[in-house]
Amino acid sequence: MSRIRILVVDDELIVRESLIGWLKKSGYEVSGAEGGCRALEILEERDFDLVFLDIKMPDLGGMEVLQHIRRHFPQTMVVMITAYGSVENAVEAMKSGANDYLMKPFEPEQLTLLVEKLLQQKKIIDENIVLRHQAASRTRYEDLIGVSDCMQQLFCIIGEVAAVDSPVLLSGETGTGKELVAKAIHAKSSRCRGPFIPINCGSFTDTLLESELFGHETGSFTGAVKARKGRLEMAQCGTLFLDEVGEIPLKMQVDLLRVLQEKKFNRVGGTTEISVDFRLISATHKNLQEEIEKGAFRRDFYFRLNVIEIEVPPLRDRREDIAILAQHFLERFRRETNKPLVGIQKQAMDVLEACDWPGNVRELENALERAVVLAKGRSLTKEDFAFLIRSPGQTTLQSLKEMEKRHIQHILNLCRGNISKAAGILEINRTTLHNKIKSYSLQVNE
Amino acid sequence: MNRISSKAPRALGLVRMGRLDETAVHVVAANLQTVLDIPVDILDAMDLPSDSLLNRRQQHDAGLILKHLSQQAFLDRYLKLVALTDADISIPILTYVFGEAEVGGRVALVSGFRLRQREGGMLVPLDTYYERLAKVALHEVAHTLSLYHCEDSSCLMHFCPKPADLDLVQILFCRRCRFMIRQSIREIRKDAALLESVRVRPF
Repeated sequence: MSRIRILVVDDELIVRESLIGWLKKSGYEVSGAEGGCRALEILEERDFDLVFLDIKMPDLGGMEVLQHIRRHFPQTMVVMITAYGSVENAVEAMKSGANDYLMKPFEPEQLTLLVEKLLQQKKIIDENIVLRHQAASRTRYEDLIGVSDCMQQLFCIIGEVAAVDSPVLLSGETGTGKELVAKAIHAKSSRCRGPFIPINCGSFTDTLLESELFGHETGSFTGAVKARKGRLEMAQCGTLFLDEVGEIPLKMQVDLLRVLQEKKFNRVGGTTEISVDFRLISATHKNLQEEIEKGAFRRDFYFRLNVIEIEVPPLRDRREDIAILAQHFLERFRRETNKPLVGIQKQAMDVLEACDWPGNVRELENALERAVVLAKGRSLTKEDFAFLIRSPGQTTLQSLKEMEKRHIQHILNLCRGNISKAAGILEINRTTLHNKIKSYSLQVNE
Repeated sequence: MNRISSKAPRALGLVRMGRLDETAVHVVAANLQTVLDIPVDILDAMDLPSDSLLNRRQQHDAGLILKHLSQQAFLDRYLKLVALTDADISIPILTYVFGEAEVGGRVALVSGFRLRQREGGMLVPLDTYYERLAKVALHEVAHTLSLYHCEDSSCLMHFCPKPADLDLVQILFCRRCRFMIRQSIREIRKDAALLESVRVRPF
């Protein structure tokens, strides 16, 4: 078990040293800071369970440090230290989120009881966080994450679909996680002990795609020096996932249709028929009905693929999942980059929730990766996501007023007319924002 | 108990500061020697340093007394030095303390000022007072041996904020603290022996 860490912030050396010495006798790991600014530096370097904070300090007052702790390290317990007779300050500190206060000098028993009480509270808070994480794991389904109604519905559908062996067609915009849905179906199905074989049909030329899917015999084409199994064979007893199925050329659609109907095929250049048994899941971001109308997709192949259709919702239709997804990606990239990041600030989360995410979860994932890599502090701030709120037309020559007008309109659009959120991102109060909307005649669209 | 200390630092030094009665000093010395299994030398009485008095609080600053003790030339002759006083002592953040020592330090201070009291203002019998004094001395010496407060409520290292709390602990360390004390004393003696051998080795 790690030792309890306590930080003592007081500009008076004898007070600081005597409190540190006293706390050390109880086996706590204690550090000291001679002022508010130094305290902020130390807090950025490591976590503390409890902070004793003097209210009056010359460089940066205890109240400012308290506000910083509450904003950035909400789980840290704070005890304000005040001189005898200045109860008003202590009351104000309690209102600002301090957990308790002590008036110098204090009774030994009072200090012991207070430290024990706060550390007990801290333990409960920490346990609560663990429990919340465990509860959050219920919002996961295999590698899919979502608390929104549409994702919960999707999890139910996946469970039902996994129980049968019918082909599934996944539709949805790019970056919505169609492959994860396919993997989840496979993992929940009776074929889960077999392989999950994905292939992105859009990333191969016609000839290569044919060879990738069906495999080839030696000498079947230039460079085919060795016989090779195709993905259809590799998927034996498992699941074949055809991503971007709308990209499969018409001729190959016929070949695949035959495989799906007869469960048999020949390798390229081969004469022996190979029997296969796999479950097919395909995915597309295209509207296949329209492709059929245009003659780019075979209707019979479509019906063979589309026995069960599942639509994976875009991120903008499940905004309530953005926070939990962002936390998930933060945790992942934090581990990968070994950065001591503890969370995402509220204003930063407002920015994330306000974005439309045309690239869906993948775009959110990329944004988090970029922010984590470039982050300087211990939590992600609005500034770390500044690249998301860049107004259009920034490179053109325009006056400050025009720039302000465009920027406010852009943020209002991002926030879909939510004045409080927009005011928060712009760091102005709501009244000022209303005045600016009026003076610039801006549109507030919901 | 010897009044003359040996040359090698093998004993605890016990010094009286102020007007504490001699019996109290002997009781504390006997208990330190018995419980810790270390010889104790009783030293000549010393005055409290003049700058340790906090006029506004009418108490002595325990930190300043410890500093004064740690500057004494005879300190090197002892494993640890324990001072006993009848003065009321405190540290800047606390209204009072019964004793003071730095974890892993060389000197400890014990005050009998508040140990005679019973709740309600009455005085406890002398034997209870002496026992309390010995308990605080053992507790503070153990801090100098790098021991922290113990959660075992019957152990001498359990934190006792009130005089009456001292009556609830035994004049014994729990098994864990006892083990740590033995370890710590062994380490100190090993270091002292090493130092002694370096001193006597001819160049």
